[in-house]
Amino acid sequence: MDFSRRSFLGTGIGAGIATGALSGVGMAPAFADLGTKMPDWHLGYQNAPPAGFDPSPMKLVFGKVPAGLKGSLYRNGPAQMQYGDTFASHWFDGDGFIHRIAIEDGQAVHTGRFAQTTKHRDEQAAQKFLVPGFGTEGDPTYPMMGPDDANAANTSVIVIDGKLYALWEGGSAYELDADTLDSVGVKSWSDDLSGMPFLAHPKTEPDGRVWNLGVGGSNVVIYRISAKGVLEDYTLVNIGASAYIHDWAMTDRHLIIMVQPWINEKMIPPFIDSFEWRPQDGLKLLIIDKNDTSKRRWAQAPARAFYHTGAAWEESDGTIRLDAALYAEPILGQDGGGPEIRGEWTPEYGSFNSVFTQIVIPTSGDAKLIETDLDGDFPQVDPRFHGKPRKLTALVTGASSVSPGATSLTVYNWETDHADRFNFGDTRMVEEFLFVPKPGGTTEEESWLVGPVLNIKSGKREIVVFDAAGVSDGPLCIWQADYSWPLGFHGTWA
Amino acid sequence: MKRTMTLIAAAAATALLAPVASASELTLNVEGIEKAQGTITLGLFDEATYNGDGAVKGANLKVEGDAVTVTFDGLEPGEYAVRLYHDVNDDGEMNTNPFGMPTEPYAFSNDAKGRFGPAKWEAAKFTVAAEGGTHTITMN
Repeated sequence: MDFSRRSFLGTGIGAGIATGALSGVGMAPAFADLGTKMPDWHLGYQNAPPAGFDPSPMKLVFGKVPAGLKGSLYRNGPAQMQYGDTFASHWFDGDGFIHRIAIEDGQAVHTGRFAQTTKHRDEQAAQKFLVPGFGTEGDPTYPMMGPDDANAANTSVIVIDGKLYALWEGGSAYELDADTLDSVGVKSWSDDLSGMPFLAHPKTEPDGRVWNLGVGGSNVVIYRISAKGVLEDYTLVNIGASAYIHDWAMTDRHLIIMVQPWINEKMIPPFIDSFEWRPQDGLKLLIIDKNDTSKRRWAQAPARAFYHTGAAWEESDGTIRLDAALYAEPILGQDGGGPEIRGEWTPEYGSFNSVFTQIVIPTSGDAKLIETDLDGDFPQVDPRFHGKPRKLTALVTGASSVSPGATSLTVYNWETDHADRFNFGDTRMVEEFLFVPKPGGTTEEESWLVGPVLNIKSGKREIVVFDAAGVSDGPLCIWQADYSWPLGFHGTWA
Repeated sequence: MKRTMTLIAAAAATALLAPVASASELTLNVEGIEKAQGTITLGLFDEATYNGDGAVKGANLKVEGDAVTVTFDGLEPGEYAVRLYHDVNDDGEMNTNPFGMPTEPYAFSNDAKGRFGPAKWEAAKFTVAAEGGTHTITMN
């Protein structure tokens, strides 16, 4: 109730106050119906400008920029969630918008551009949603020659040998200029793999080699790409079920395909309508030898749903450990984030209900789960330790009571079981933070954590830097943009 | 997706000649070919054969520029549709990626596009009149 009133007051719509106070949480749809103003947090779901954002310096509003912090934070996320009065039906179906925050000499410069995919160009021209997607039926007359006609290029980004790719999961990677963010086009890793799906969660070994999966029903392609961006090899694997696979895990020696029992045997858009949760099947783990992909074994874990892993590592006896944000059952199911997109979210919809968990896969027998009491997602690790023994994982935690999303950044230490947390409070919506190794540093603690938040009080975007060794000490520095941009999914540092 | 795309490949690749007694002449132009190599393999279908394996007429046209042309004669006046693919590497097949999606260009008459499969007859059909005619397909 308190939330409703505060949220209403925060919007400055006096007429709404009485309604909010009377109807409590039930006010949200009425709120949207006002048609004039959305809740303040809805700023995170509004369209980015069609022309994007030209390079624009951000203002240092807090702290001191650490010496030696240099590079670019690239991020991606859906940024076209509305045409006229029509909202996207699912968060996964908005067009990809790529950000670059270039940091050098204490300055941060923000640039943003839509990936000029076929979907984006055609829908911009028509000013309506046309293309079928994860939660969108689309215009039944819209031609679909292949998955890349629906490619939203909206989920993540990777830089390989200086080339920037926006990643989706149902189709190809989409290349953009790493400096200007101008679109280059769909990427084929080889002629015979053109049009193959490429997941949004490739794994980069510390030496730069990239592994990724592409999923088509129960068929999975495994890509091995050199640090120079050249396809070295690919392998096809059948995982026995048309499971939803968004992410996976990798040690220095093995790939782990996590087959969650969220099954779709129809694969007709909107895909979300034909997923089936089969907890009786459990979470199956396929472990594949990177040096000989024909060497494979299965392990079984209790039924869990998931989107994101942190990373895996391997002990000398062959035990594999990986951490992930696990859910008792699938989230972003039928409603697909729709209430947030439409500005109708209320606290009853909740936010994260995950359990940050370590999955321990012995060399034989069933996998075991070590559950923390952390409720969060978007786990990230130090890229120098990807696939190697490590202890730290940074993740977004702490559901907000006044908006969708989370308020806190937590670094979890698997050696000490200590969660080091900074709570931004309800005025910030916190997104994924990335480890950025300090120059000359060798340990995980010798990193910064860099990520964006949406300041819903000021209506502006902020880029925040922490010392990974002491997140609870608060930010080292904060840059603020003069404007907002919508919430995104994932990023990379290059 | 894999099954329907394989069907496109099979339908486009199979261009069986069937004897038809009549006199209409149809010239087919295929333009906008991206790579000046390989072969355009096309089939001309009527409604009865469009979703099956057998074409009314067929041709394999060597690609040396960005366009090819073929003329079919002896056609019964009526409605027809064309499916074609560009066999870029001349291996005699419409190549697909490991998930069954075509990796070589393909097209339909009227430049019709499919939706999770081949273009529908209704979208691809055109009329060949008694005095004959010309139809142009632009690859893209």
